[in-house]
Amino acid sequence: MNCQEWEERIALYAAGDAGAADAGETERHIAGCAGCQVFWSGMKQSLEWLREAHQEEIAPAHYAAVRARVMAQLESGRAPWWKQVWAYGLGIAAVAAVMVLIAVRPHAESPRATMVMPAAVVENAADAGQGAGSRPGGLPHREVGRRGALWAHLPHRQAETILVKLETDNPDVVIYWIAEKKGD
Amino acid sequence: MNVLALLAIAAPVESPGGGARSIAAARAGDLAAFESLMRQHERLVLVTAARLLGKLEDAQDASQEVFLRLYRSLGKIDAVENLPGWLYRVTVNVCHDITRKRPASVPVDELPELAATGADPQQSAARAERRRALQMSLRFLSEKERAAMVLRDLEGLSTAEVARALGSSEATVRSQISKARIKVRAFMERYFRSQL
Repeated sequence: MNCQEWEERIALYAAGDAGAADAGETERHIAGCAGCQVFWSGMKQSLEWLREAHQEEIAPAHYAAVRARVMAQLESGRAPWWKQVWAYGLGIAAVAAVMVLIAVRPHAESPRATMVMPAAVVENAADAGQGAGSRPGGLPHREVGRRGALWAHLPHRQAETILVKLETDNPDVVIYWIAEKKGD
Repeated sequence: MNVLALLAIAAPVESPGGGARSIAAARAGDLAAFESLMRQHERLVLVTAARLLGKLEDAQDASQEVFLRLYRSLGKIDAVENLPGWLYRVTVNVCHDITRKRPASVPVDELPELAATGADPQQSAARAERRRALQMSLRFLSEKERAAMVLRDLEGLSTAEVARALGSSEATVRSQISKARIKVRAFMERYFRSQL
């Protein structure tokens, strides 16, 4: 072990952090090594100065300043009761306003959902119209299915009922298909 | 560098059991009790923070944050005996956060010209110079070395207590302390070449 390696042990030994066995070895090495004696002496001196600086304290005004800042922050977090009531009232009013908006807005703007129906369904709807005597005159049955525009109106709060409006090339002929969904 | 102005002041003494009563009352929302708790531990927090950060203004910011965290964590501290360890741990963490946000104002490559001050006839001036050198030497340690040395050599904690506060093993702490002492000694030797 060279002296540089001994320095780490001396640094621990200097403040009583070496184990009993290490301390004995370190003492013996210091006794026989001039370089480590110098290092040991300097280590003791620097530790003494460290402790000397530690014996002095910070002025009380600095502690008081910290205390004042902490207490001010804690007290500001404790609003008086009337401020809390005001805050709760504002919160309740905001929630109520949002609920009213949700309840009123969909009625005002009843969205018209568009649904493209599969061809088979369209044909069935056309067939149903034919059966009721409402088939457009001169317009082939399949033509209605391909070219017709289908609209599904989903009435608000009646999600179970589907109304399909089938427009044909003949503006005088409009077919309505009403379906009612039961269960999933 | 802002050198700490230190004065000799005795810390307030708390009667046995007073800490436990203060914690219980503070938990119940008694701000006066919390202020009393702060008075009992403010030296520990502010001095440790000052040693770690080297600037009193930063140390006061750190102390404020530590005590605010203490107030929010009162319910988690189960025994008053655990409070100093908790405070040391949080102080070190808060100081690390501050150090990361505010890098050292005197980087290693901008070290000032080191002057030998052995000729200074005034003993108080010599002490002030040593304090300044000590603060500078602590700045050139790594965060963990500085924390280990401050807690062990300045605060007087045992190696096991330092290990708990830093969340390290005792072997790691011993290694950090050893390296820190060697670096500080080398710095002080360089600073006071004529005295060591």
